[in-house]
Amino acid sequence: MSVEAPLPLAPIRDLDLGRPSVGAASVGLAKRNIRGIRRLPSAFLPSLVMPVFQAIAFSGSFFAITQIPGFPTDRSINWFMPLAILLGSGFAGVGIGLAAIRDIETGFYDRLRLAPAPRSSLIVGPLIGALGRSFVVTTLVMTVGVVFGARWNHGVLSIVPLYVAGLGIAAAGTGWGLGLAYRFRDMRAAALMQLTLFIGLFLSEAQTPLYVMEGWLHTVARINPFTNVLRLARQGWVGDVSWENTWGGVVALVVISALTMWFARRGLDKLDD
Amino acid sequence: MTALVADQSVIPPGRPVLRTSNIAQTWAMSKRAILAMWRQPSLVIPSMVFPLFFIALGTSAFSRAIDVPGFPEVDSYLDFALAGAVVQGVLFGSVTGATALATDVENGFFDRLLASPSTRSGIIVGRLAGGMAYGAFQTTFFMVVLLPFGLEIKGGPVGALALIASGTLLALAVGAVMSTMAIKTGSSEAVQGAFPLLFIALFFSSAFFPRETMTGFYATMADYNPISYLVEGMRDLVIDGLTLWALLRAILLPALMAVGGVALALRSLTKRLAAS
Repeated sequence: MSVEAPLPLAPIRDLDLGRPSVGAASVGLAKRNIRGIRRLPSAFLPSLVMPVFQAIAFSGSFFAITQIPGFPTDRSINWFMPLAILLGSGFAGVGIGLAAIRDIETGFYDRLRLAPAPRSSLIVGPLIGALGRSFVVTTLVMTVGVVFGARWNHGVLSIVPLYVAGLGIAAAGTGWGLGLAYRFRDMRAAALMQLTLFIGLFLSEAQTPLYVMEGWLHTVARINPFTNVLRLARQGWVGDVSWENTWGGVVALVVISALTMWFARRGLDKLDD
Repeated sequence: MTALVADQSVIPPGRPVLRTSNIAQTWAMSKRAILAMWRQPSLVIPSMVFPLFFIALGTSAFSRAIDVPGFPEVDSYLDFALAGAVVQGVLFGSVTGATALATDVENGFFDRLLASPSTRSGIIVGRLAGGMAYGAFQTTFFMVVLLPFGLEIKGGPVGALALIASGTLLALAVGAVMSTMAIKTGSSEAVQGAFPLLFIALFFSSAFFPRETMTGFYATMADYNPISYLVEGMRDLVIDGLTLWALLRAILLPALMAVGGVALALRSLTKRLAAS
């Protein structure tokens, strides 16, 4: 029996045992999150397919609403496409909460918490991932929308608010999803995450403009901050791009995102209890 | 080898005697299907609440759309939307029943039933009967909840009964088709995966707006979609009153679908038995 010569060892990398910065740890977690799309496409695909279907189906089924006197556009897809993008982006954010639940249930989250990475990176990293997912959703739904007849009024200026609104709602969805995930720590939170987002968006100017609504929905939609977010997203596709249509949505997104992020951070801190 | 034969004459007094008629076995399976829904309300509540949520939204959001050209003469969008809500609820509810059947296949309970000296068809028929009872309950529930909000059924009590019959038959038809999938795949995930297909079928129909208001590709899709005709039959009972044409579409169409669906389900059961 002959003894083979040992293979030459690969050079050992120096282990960096220092505490990584928030940025480096966050980017690492964001990359893991994006890779998750490839590894578990079934978890991300619904947030891509459903908004595409919704944009097409709603604009076909509810085409007649464009014939209501004074309706701001004659293309129903222009009205429903931004709604579909917001739903898709919101669900992309909420999906981060679902991924966190999976990690908590498998015990991976405990290992993340024991790592010497800054605690805030556990929120910032998935947030970056959610923004990436929202970008993909917005681009895809908008492309399909244009194929199905959506037309902008102000060129690139119409697209920017749509992306801003999508990214903002993804951030809010991430904070909400993570906050609930940290509190429930199991899949019971999933339905609550999705339902609250769905109901919040639909109790706004989602299906028709405020002046068309009657009764209780008009009252609720008028004070619902998502009405401003939808107005932000729709400008340039429905009506003109203007500061008047912008500031309310931006303020709503900043406030909702800040609140949900605070909710997530508090939940993360309570995980130690 | 000794064969063990149950001798009912030695059953102690007071102990229930095993009833072995096909009807009794089918009834037991139906009861089990209904009890499963009752014990797990989180599975069935969405199919009760979501149609009501959408109808509440629609009644406020689309109240002015009833004046656009092509819309039938209705007193309110609520009257118009009832049929769509019933069909939506029944379609989604039927997935729940079929998923439970697929779960039975997955966890081996279905095979134990097949191994027991019970009626084969009763396993499926019992499950479908449970789904029918739920469909009838859903339809009644929607009508009762919406009556105080101004719902008016022009067909009167007979029209309301026809609506319940239609919802029941639709539950049988969709439940049978979904059960076929459950028996064939034996996977609850696969059955739930069919949910988006039902969603698509519903939205590309006249469930929420009349076909006359649709254009192009959507109008063509709705024209070829049998759900459109079913919904329109049910809707006519609500907004126009009791007519033979409305009854035919509301009752006969789901009945024909049910015959086809049940035949498919029994055929898939026979194939599964032959393969095992």
